[in-house]
Amino acid sequence: MPPQSEMPPKIVVRGLTKRFRRGNEEFTALAPVDLDIAQGELVCLLGPSGCGKSTLLNLLAGFDEASGGTVHIDGEPVRTPDPRRVFVFQEYGIFPWATVRENISLGLRRRPEAERREIVERYIDLVGLRGFENSYPGEISGGMKQRVAVARALAVSPEVVFMDEPFGALDSLTRLSMRQELRRIWQLERLTIVLVTHDVDEALQLADRVVVMTSSPGRIAATIPVGLEHPRDVLSPAYGTLRKHLFGLLGVQDGV
Amino acid sequence: MSIPALVTAVVAAAVIVASRGLRQRAQAVVLPIFTGILLLAVWHLWAESTWYELATPGQPTRRVEVFPTPGRVLPAFAELASDGRIFRYIIASLFRVATGFGVAALIGIPLGLYAGWSTRGGYAIDPYIAALRPISPIAWIPISTLAFGIKDEAAIFIIFMGAFFPIVTGAATAVRSMPIAYVRAAHNFGLRKWELLRFVVFPAALPQIITSLRIALGIGWLVVVAAEMTAIQSGLGFLIVDARNMGMRYDLVVAGMIVIGAIGIGLDWLVRRLERLDSVRWGFSKE
Ligand SMILES: Nc1ncnc2c1ncn2[C@@H]1O[C@H](COP(=O)(O)OP(=O)(O)OP(=O)(O)O)[C@@H](O)[C@H]1O
Ligand SMILES: [Mg+2]
Repeated sequence: MPPQSEMPPKIVVRGLTKRFRRGNEEFTALAPVDLDIAQGELVCLLGPSGCGKSTLLNLLAGFDEASGGTVHIDGEPVRTPDPRRVFVFQEYGIFPWATVRENISLGLRRRPEAERREIVERYIDLVGLRGFENSYPGEISGGMKQRVAVARALAVSPEVVFMDEPFGALDSLTRLSMRQELRRIWQLERLTIVLVTHDVDEALQLADRVVVMTSSPGRIAATIPVGLEHPRDVLSPAYGTLRKHLFGLLGVQDGV
Repeated sequence: MSIPALVTAVVAAAVIVASRGLRQRAQAVVLPIFTGILLLAVWHLWAESTWYELATPGQPTRRVEVFPTPGRVLPAFAELASDGRIFRYIIASLFRVATGFGVAALIGIPLGLYAGWSTRGGYAIDPYIAALRPISPIAWIPISTLAFGIKDEAAIFIIFMGAFFPIVTGAATAVRSMPIAYVRAAHNFGLRKWELLRFVVFPAALPQIITSLRIALGIGWLVVVAAEMTAIQSGLGFLIVDARNMGMRYDLVVAGMIVIGAIGIGLDWLVRRLERLDSVRWGFSKE
């Protein structure tokens, strides 16, 4: 639910486009996109594979250069990545050569030693990795790795967290508990989160607002506020209605 | 034909065939031992068959083998050990390889990281690495002896040439194949240029660098023998040519070859130990 609507939006996207060159053809991955995201909002970008979700998220985070249009965060144009807005990658994001603790300290190099230690230990507890702080990523499960990535991102006290299919590689039970955990942490830290997913239920369970995207060219088809209380009851009629609506927007029949 | 050797060969072959029925752990012990015994027996039988009659005036004709049997190589080891020659030669060869390989690693790793990381560096360096790499290090022997004379430096240079290119290419490829997410994460968390190299690019490339070091050391050990056969007068390679030239001592030749093989295994084992370090194990343990 977008709170304090009189405050200016945290993230303002206007006319954002991205074209890629493919051989000697231009390919439009992102048609002009307009989007506002409020401070403290949890927004999910939902859409089929190839519709430009990652492209949009990379532009928001400053990893890529837009072909046109602008992204402003707190009124400042976004040009490069910045520790105030961190990105959680689906895979490969955490470093396999470093321990859990070293990974979480990545963004804290310039903090004083004592402060750094205090923060790292706090986040190890927050994401439930106590006992594994000296393990290497190769020695822990997929869900634990993803928690390392989340802890590493949160440890730098970011204002915005971008997540590109953060739970995509996990089994459905682990995904569910990771969503609950993310929601809990989001409430604690009052973050702004933009999360990419192609899972309708993930979007419906997490988001204050679902931004539905469609492809060729990638664009926003609809923005759906999810006014349901947490914890969300996936069997409630209201949930079912929204779910049908989203599947409809994605052009897919629900049910097999 | 020696009957005991023939019997040994047949028995060893029979054991190898019969080991099919053993458990895997038993096979792991039995097979290497009995293939070894079989090889020795075949070697013996074959070497024995290469005899000729040596007729010396005033003495009875003798049978002499052209190739040494395993039994004649054994005392050759004792002979080489007793005058300390083998140890001096081993140390000489190892010293050359260590120096040539060390210098190659010292220059090759940073250069490869640079060529892989910087587009400009890649443009400048890649074509020359690609062109020099296929030239056998042995081809450098004439140039090397011309430049350094019949000295250690000549052999070291040739080993350097053999070890350098796999290391540079290995390091450059490692950096280029690094997932972009690593670099993005590093940028995102505000790492500066040197921190990025030290804490991300280098550790990400390290497993592949270690693999290339292993290959380079293997090549260095191959090349040192060749270099010592022509470019210098000590070391295990020299031992081999010298044993032949100074009296057709093929028993010493074979003993020297066995020592070279054994040390090669040892060197490879040493580098493989590096693969177990905590910070690189991730790059090797993909089942
Ligand atoms: N670097 C690139 N060069 C050329 N085309 C690209 C590049 N990156 C993305 N594209 C194209 O842009 C389109 C959108 O890609 P994008 O990765 O944003 O999709 P996505 O919605 O994240 O899909 P998925 O759910 O599969 O991750 C795709 O058709 C893709 O092929
Ligand atoms: Mg994507």
